[in-house]
Amino acid sequence: MQGISNKIKIIFFLIVIAVIAFLPTVTSQYFSVFLYQLFIYMILAISYDILGGYTGYMNLGHSCFFGIGGYTFAILANKNLGLLVSMVGGMGAAACFGLAISYPFFRLRGAYFALANLGLIILLGLLAHNLKPLTGGADGLFIPIPYALSAVYYSSLLLCLLTILLSYRIGKSRFGLALVSIRADEDVANAFGINPYWYKLAALILGAIPASLAGGIFAWALTYINPDSLLGIEIALVPVTMAMLGGTGFVAGPILGSLFISVVQELVWTKLPYLHLAIYGAILILIGLYMPGGLIRTKAFQRTLSRLGLTERLYWYSPKQISGL
Amino acid sequence: MGFLQIVTSGLLLGGVYALAAFGLSICWGVLNILNIAHGEFLMLGALAAYGVYALLGINPFFIVLAIIPIFLAFSFLFEKLLIRPIRGRTETEILVASILVTLGGALLIEDVTAFLWGKSFTGIPYSMISLQVGGVVIPLIRLLILAFILALTWVIHFYLKRSYTGKAIQAITQNREGARIVGINIIRISMITFIIGTSLAAIAGVFYVVLYSMTPYMGLSLTVKYMCIVVLGGLGSLFGSFAGGLILGITESIIGYYVGSDWSPTVAFFALVLILLLRPQGLFGRK
Repeated sequence: MQGISNKIKIIFFLIVIAVIAFLPTVTSQYFSVFLYQLFIYMILAISYDILGGYTGYMNLGHSCFFGIGGYTFAILANKNLGLLVSMVGGMGAAACFGLAISYPFFRLRGAYFALANLGLIILLGLLAHNLKPLTGGADGLFIPIPYALSAVYYSSLLLCLLTILLSYRIGKSRFGLALVSIRADEDVANAFGINPYWYKLAALILGAIPASLAGGIFAWALTYINPDSLLGIEIALVPVTMAMLGGTGFVAGPILGSLFISVVQELVWTKLPYLHLAIYGAILILIGLYMPGGLIRTKAFQRTLSRLGLTERLYWYSPKQISGL
Repeated sequence: MGFLQIVTSGLLLGGVYALAAFGLSICWGVLNILNIAHGEFLMLGALAAYGVYALLGINPFFIVLAIIPIFLAFSFLFEKLLIRPIRGRTETEILVASILVTLGGALLIEDVTAFLWGKSFTGIPYSMISLQVGGVVIPLIRLLILAFILALTWVIHFYLKRSYTGKAIQAITQNREGARIVGINIIRISMITFIIGTSLAAIAGVFYVVLYSMTPYMGLSLTVKYMCIVVLGGLGSLFGSFAGGLILGITESIIGYYVGSDWSPTVAFFALVLILLLRPQGLFGRK
């Protein structure tokens, strides 16, 4: 089935997008809220994947950018700066934060990098608690800008589509190839004239921007934020769990992972008030032990993907890794 | 409270940190896996100590002896079920899988404990007489704990220097392939190291619950703190972990007193960023 032409693929995707855009007018409000949350999760998972998947630097603290975006948005909105300025401000703050942490933190590799970034989340949570005049401390902040569900829905949908496009373009580009070569062997990549620091920084910032905007939209829709809702450990686990479950280093992976977990969340979590973290933990253990390549590299999905003509990217992994998956 | 008093209590906190941080450090050195669930062993150690104390009401030093067998078994199982299956994969895969498995294990332990136990803070109200030395008040129990930690560090030091297992641990940390060539059973030594490392965390947990209060959710942030200490002191060195732990403990209690106790948990992260900027090989590491 390699014969499906690009045109048909594009038409197919446009139809899917049109249906999703049309959905809120015919379905219940509850379903729209579910979809908007799914988009936010998707943005987080895909933007995590730009650094975490392509370069292989697991950034357990990706939701830092989400939290900074949301908090900056809320702080600026409380200064009556308007929706757009506040959003852009949140984006700028997250990008600056990414720039600031990149120099020390990219000196760490592997597990150290992952854990140090998890520490950053804890640090930001503490700062949000302690800097009371700015963040309101544990009491949190109210957002004075009124929101409409349709505005939230379409802005998150648009952002989600742009993020998917960004990740897809990166995967196809020379830039993406450089990122993947850093994952394969950073020292060799360096020897071949790729400066790992600049490439990793670019990937970090490109991931930070969608995540911070998602944080802004999320805060806007919540109307009230506190340290737990934006910088808690549960939201921190969202991007990494979803991306790893779906399969990293390929845009369809995080999409699949976030869809899967959102549906499970909807079916199970709402009925079970406790043990959410334990379920995340169990999922992570199972992925680590049995499915390191994610859902997307399992046989069933491979077949579907090859029918859609989307498999090529998966073989960017070295042959040794493929055999283990 | 005088400055000396603050430094003394920081010294003690640092001693507890050092013990657990060294456990994390040797596990990393030998297994090549950063155990994100390390802090959970400390939390469980603290919880077990609380349970034993509530049941029997004995001296904390006997509690250490009572919980060691439990933790030998628990860390054996943890290693067998979660760490060993991911060996033998390629290096990148081990890295990813180890982060996922140990992070998942940490979350599972935390949340199940919190579910069964409740989220409350608990501590052991064990006290002895206080000594007064030149205006500094030191509770005897704290002094004894510090002495115990120092003695334990001394024992570990000699264990690493003299015994076969200790030498093997050092050999694997220095050069894994070389160690394999001279016939060291890496799987066995890895298991022993993991058990020693996590038991150290559990012992530190006993003292933690005597000195401070614990909650089921403290594990992850403690692991991060220990990683900061390991980076601070340089990898795999007992002396480095000890010095890093003491520095962090003293700084935390000074900041906690002069700036505010809300700020003392942030010290470790700022120290980490600072050390990465200025001396990425660690305070005592060589280039």
